Amino acid sequence: MVDLKMQDGRIVSVSVGGDPLSIVKILEDGEQITPIPGNVRVDSRPSRILIERDGVESIVHCARVGDRWWVHLDGYVHVVDVIEPGAANASDADGAFTAPMPGKVLDVLVPEGARVREGQDLMVLEAMKMEHRIAADRDGTVSSIYFQTGDQVDAGSVLLDFVEDE
Amino acid sequence: MTQQDWMKDAPHPIQSVLVANRGEIACRVLRACNEMGLESIAIRSDADYGALHTEVADSVVHLEGETLADTYLNIDAILAAARSSGADAIHPGYGFLSERAAFARAVQEAGLIWIGPPAEAIESMGDKVTARRRMMDAGVPVIPGQEIIDSDDEDRLIDALVAAATEVDYPLLLKASAGGGGKGMRAVHEPKYLQQEFLAARREAQTAFGDGTVYIERLLDGSRHIEVQILADLHGSTVHLFERECSIQRRHQKVVEEAPSPVLDESTRLAMGDAAVAAAAAVDYAGAGTVEFLLAPNGSFYFLEMNTRLQVEHPVTECITGVDLVEQQIRVASGLPLPFTQEDLTIRGHAIEVRIYAEDPSQGFLPATGPLAVFRPPEGPGIRLDTGVREGDVARIDFDPMLAKLIVHGSDRDHATRRMKSALSEFVILGATTNIGFLSDVIAHPAYRAGETDTGFIQRHYPKDWVAPAPSDVLLLIAAASEHLGIHRKSVGLTAVNDTGRTTPNDPFQRLDRRYP
Repeated sequence: MVDLKMQDGRIVSVSVGGDPLSIVKILEDGEQITPIPGNVRVDSRPSRILIERDGVESIVHCARVGDRWWVHLDGYVHVVDVIEPGAANASDADGAFTAPMPGKVLDVLVPEGARVREGQDLMVLEAMKMEHRIAADRDGTVSSIYFQTGDQVDAGSVLLDFVEDE
Repeated sequence: MTQQDWMKDAPHPIQSVLVANRGEIACRVLRACNEMGLESIAIRSDADYGALHTEVADSVVHLEGETLADTYLNIDAILAAARSSGADAIHPGYGFLSERAAFARAVQEAGLIWIGPPAEAIESMGDKVTARRRMMDAGVPVIPGQEIIDSDDEDRLIDALVAAATEVDYPLLLKASAGGGGKGMRAVHEPKYLQQEFLAARREAQTAFGDGTVYIERLLDGSRHIEVQILADLHGSTVHLFERECSIQRRHQKVVEEAPSPVLDESTRLAMGDAAVAAAAAVDYAGAGTVEFLLAPNGSFYFLEMNTRLQVEHPVTECITGVDLVEQQIRVASGLPLPFTQEDLTIRGHAIEVRIYAEDPSQGFLPATGPLAVFRPPEGPGIRLDTGVREGDVARIDFDPMLAKLIVHGSDRDHATRRMKSALSEFVILGATTNIGFLSDVIAHPAYRAGETDTGFIQRHYPKDWVAPAPSDVLLLIAAASEHLGIHRKSVGLTAVNDTGRTTPNDPFQRLDRRYP
């Protein structure tokens, strides 16, 4: 099940399955809604899927940047946001920390391989002349650090990888 | 490097060219050099490490520094780069130093060939008052207007302003005398707003150009912006390559350009062409230049200004005439005569260019940034893309937000319009918001199809922000399925980008790739 936020603000939980993939379960405000017809196959080239609607196949380009899916559909680009579990903090479900906005790395406070405690600051970003601290939300180990002091980062860039303690 | 055959009779032979620019225009000019068998040399700032234009060039000189003043606007550093790389000519592209007479002079004083017009022509045309006087002397029609020389005595300034406004007559346009690009431009429709708008224009002029002198001219509402491409050699021959219509503008920034104009009749076309040639001849022009005119609804036209450089929209002229303007610029600089006369030139078909910006048309056209996670331009007959970016690059805010120019050439305007519409629908850019959807709607608009392309087009048809098509629920299926399939973990073609070594060390995608081996 993945929670998706449409551009108009609607939040819909969607589960897909089968081969080819189709909607198994779809909930809006906790209520089951009519499944969207159509099914999806993986395409042989990257950043594309093959979608079949009413017996007609078409190729759709899509790419995820940060928590956002960008989709090129029928000549226009749309975005759909993925609401990750625990999205209130900066880390995503894979245990990586991403930049919440474009900016500059002001300071890296821990070395690679550091064991850190919940709440410990890991990195300081500056964006729009404001400081933004990236803090560990769990106890664990910083397995990789991808930026240095002074580097520019874009919104959604992976800053560091994090392995949670067992 | 051996001298090329085409240059064997040239009085000033050229073997290597340094292109003092970046982005799409640097790529365009560097490619022309490569095609002509010349050594192509690029310059880059720190931020342009790995940029496309550095890949197109035979060699690259790194200019230390991040600011424009340190790099692309740094005359001394550029001349030093030319020396160290052994360049014997410099092409300035457009923007940056392209219309600085001081740069043209410095290049020549350093013993290098300047691929551009004479410094005196840049100077005469760069100053709106001088240009206007020269044009009137040459019999080229000009818009009624006057200059308000800046002074500290505000009372006298206002008196002069009121007198000038009365003579020129309303509605008026105020603009920075030293300016261009829409900075410091203000429209005044009634006398009661004159003073406040003037003071604002003067402040903007002072901030942007360090000179508060304001030029005041009649605003010709409902008029069209039409410009004529000219080419002149060093042997007194000047030709025009017909017109471009650039009327679809947003805040004086061109958005859609086409050639020929959908409204010009043959006699006006000829008269405008002759006026453009006269304008160029009046300042002893050489090389490629553009004479801009306003075409009033009653069919009369007025000289607006002359751009003493290659224009952003030059490809549409290349499409309809078959002339490579950059090649001609280089040939002219080497002292060769133009290889054709006016009679040899004809218009073939119709061409349209749109400017693709990283901006959000549904949010007040604010500049957008982000990685170009997917960048797949359209392909097919009659489609040309001039760009300085490729997949895996990042749309940044440091420079002009223009990502690319998409140009199509068709057998007639209707054909070209349909080709553009289809090409825009095929153009996929994901990761940074662009104006592609907006452009697609503009091109398909009945008023555009009908050729009603005056400068008020966007204001009239899109008075508020552009509204994107409503999202369809099928997006939920697409996003959920893509998430399930792990499309993003299949590293979206970015491995290929890394394989060619195109990404920069700071490129977040390289890191994404490491994250998803």
